[in-house]
Amino acid sequence: MEKLNRNLPPQFKTIEHVDIPKSKQQVLSNKIPIHIISGGSQDVLKIELIFNAGLWYQKSPLVAGTCNAMLNEGTENYTAAELAKKFDFYGAYISYNNSQHDASICLYTLNKYLNETMDLLEEIIKRPVFPEKEFKTILSNKKQNYLVNREKANALAKEKFNSLVYGDTHPYANIFEAKAFDDVQLEDIKKFYKDFYTSDNCRIIVSGKMDESVITKIEDRFGTASWNTKASIVDTKHQLINSTEKKVFVHKKDAVQSSIRIGRPLFNKTHKDFAGIMLLNLVLGGYFGSRLMQNIREDKGYTYGINSLLLSHLKSGHFAIITEVGTDVCDAAMSEIYKEIKRLREELIPEEELNLVKNFFSGEMLRSFDSPFALSESLKGNLPFGFDNSYYETFLQKIKETSSEKIMELANAYFKEEDLYEVVVGEIKA
Amino acid sequence: MIEFDKFTLDNGLKVIVHKDTTTPLAAVNIIYNIGAKDEDPEQTGFAHLFEHLMFGGSVNIPNYDEPLQQVGGDNNAWTSNDVTNYYLTVPKENLETGFWLESDRMLSLAFTEKSLEVQKAVVIEEFKQHYFNQPYGDVWLHLRPLAYKKHPYQWSTIGKCLEHIENAQLQDVKDFFFHHYAPNNAVLVVAGNVETDEVKQLAEKWFGPIERREVAERNLPIEPKQTEFRSLHLERDVPYDAIYMTFHMGSRNGKDFYKVDLLSDILSNGQSSRIFQTLIKEKNLFSSIDAYLTGDFEPGLFVISGKLTEGVSMEGAEIAIWEVLDEVCATKANDYELQKVKNKIESSLVFSEISFLNKAMNIAQHAITGQAEDINLEVEKYNKVTTDDLQAMAQEILIKKNCSTLYYHAKKQ
Repeated sequence: MEKLNRNLPPQFKTIEHVDIPKSKQQVLSNKIPIHIISGGSQDVLKIELIFNAGLWYQKSPLVAGTCNAMLNEGTENYTAAELAKKFDFYGAYISYNNSQHDASICLYTLNKYLNETMDLLEEIIKRPVFPEKEFKTILSNKKQNYLVNREKANALAKEKFNSLVYGDTHPYANIFEAKAFDDVQLEDIKKFYKDFYTSDNCRIIVSGKMDESVITKIEDRFGTASWNTKASIVDTKHQLINSTEKKVFVHKKDAVQSSIRIGRPLFNKTHKDFAGIMLLNLVLGGYFGSRLMQNIREDKGYTYGINSLLLSHLKSGHFAIITEVGTDVCDAAMSEIYKEIKRLREELIPEEELNLVKNFFSGEMLRSFDSPFALSESLKGNLPFGFDNSYYETFLQKIKETSSEKIMELANAYFKEEDLYEVVVGEIKA
Repeated sequence: MIEFDKFTLDNGLKVIVHKDTTTPLAAVNIIYNIGAKDEDPEQTGFAHLFEHLMFGGSVNIPNYDEPLQQVGGDNNAWTSNDVTNYYLTVPKENLETGFWLESDRMLSLAFTEKSLEVQKAVVIEEFKQHYFNQPYGDVWLHLRPLAYKKHPYQWSTIGKCLEHIENAQLQDVKDFFFHHYAPNNAVLVVAGNVETDEVKQLAEKWFGPIERREVAERNLPIEPKQTEFRSLHLERDVPYDAIYMTFHMGSRNGKDFYKVDLLSDILSNGQSSRIFQTLIKEKNLFSSIDAYLTGDFEPGLFVISGKLTEGVSMEGAEIAIWEVLDEVCATKANDYELQKVKNKIESSLVFSEISFLNKAMNIAQHAITGQAEDINLEVEKYNKVTTDDLQAMAQEILIKKNCSTLYYHAKKQ
């Protein structure tokens, strides 16, 4: 037998193409678009109804989120307790999501109980009654969670950073005081529901193992006629305000670590440079092998973790580096972070490193499209931009074509030190 | 039903293969039968620190992560009080890279001073981040020694204190490796778009040459039966009072586990559960409260943890919890309620089987303590539980003299 050579890595294949299963689009009789992603090994389904009913549309804080969270707190035919009991009995999960532009209700169900769980879904979407008692309980509990969260340095850092890059009043920052919980009016919640949870403001994504009958069942419950009042949604205007103040320190008594955020407002994924910036972000802090992680964690041991991210909102976006480091090494960590950014502006990324990152990214694509549910999640993120998941096929090609020269050019255009915002929350000012 | 093939190499490494062709990927999961409970009481946190060191390069491969990322792979690991689990996923074409990397670090590590120094610092930051820089973060550092007086479950996987981690020496690291990391103390599960023949050939090739090792015999102290109520009061800079209660129960593999699990579900799984409905919705005594099992391989804990609503007294909150517990002791649950939690269990198992990586980890955990086949008997075992069983378990476990309570007081401003 040939002696095993453990020093040499085995042969491997580079992923040239990621095969992303296509979703099918249909329209229900009442014009609700429905996107269908069929597949998977288990007899389960995910049905998500998405409304343009996010923070963007609320006139005062907490209205959109409270409205969304209260849909299952009692309907014309069932109390909150009865609804909870039924969903639990069928082993169904229901999740409520409220984001900047969208709000959604998502049902995860075993196929064998589809009729029963869809009846409940119909009930909570079309006939919620928003009881006063549940309203008070929910707000009181949300307020407590909010105040606990404000004891965390990273939560304070996130809030301050968002206020710098979007402005205190912008929905992308979503900043409010504890007092806001006492000011929410039940009437505003009910009105918000009437205005935004309507059939002409809705889209549906269904994913999992299914045949035609599933679509018929959805059509029967949500598609035959228009429901709730006709919406006349005027797209609200919000002004983005980038702060002129670039560096902020927030004192947090007795903190044993400092929470750091460094970043800037940036474009979203529709921009021509997005693929390049994505690659740049990966190299800097987007995966475990990234320069920040290798330098600040794996070489210096300053932190348990450091990463950077790109966030695409519909009308803007941002880039941020996020970490928590020991108070005593905060200065040193900050200086290393800036050093790594400078290196991206001044030195070409070696071919070997760039190829590794591209390969890793291809693997990530395989992982992120691995189940019908995962596909539905990324489709949900793409639809508002006017894309479906085929966006990622061209995106991967663009990533593969991006050169080190291009990345350095982008680093010089977008990662100038004077353009970066910096927030530190901790005991001692860096 | 999860199907799999299994075989054992001559060196004692158990290998299990689960084929799932719906994914273009493959997972390689190795579980080692070594956890925080195997640590010296004066050197706690070692199993977890060691997990970090497993990424610091192995005897023939200086860097673990790079070659894996190069082939589109990703990886991570976790340590519990019972076991240490390593996993990676790769495009199926690149499965062999996973075997190459995992087998080399089972063979031996690079054992460098630099890696030890850096990872000690990283773990200390992890300790601070999760236990000291979070509201309520230190609860388990106090709750474990309250509940366990002898058994090593009295410390958390992160360790008792920062000093234990600071004191770790390279020689300790080497000893630990050769006493616990061995083919005959591990289970390898490969799941995803793979063929058993291919896995067999790769396992023989890469793991076959690793020699069997003398594994340190496990001789854990037995926790004496708790005979009276214990309590501890802490005061911290947090916004609200909180209460934590633990009750001793059996092990994950014990015959009663399924009964107690369903009992905890009746109390706290889902919005229709008794604790949620009574204590949060009806009486507004808690802003959040949960009951759950630690699910440990040795006799574990039934835990209740809740944050009090502002203005509610600790005494009032505690009495209300006991009322719910007393009721489940005094009166049988009804059949609908039992059926509901059984359905929920079945559903959560079906959903958990969507992910091939999840399946790999679940198979590995069954295989390391019992046998992999057990994974397919779970639903049946849950289905056998009766309302009488629930009441009997409640009467045995959810009683005052079996309880340790931590009162976590918010410091008055």
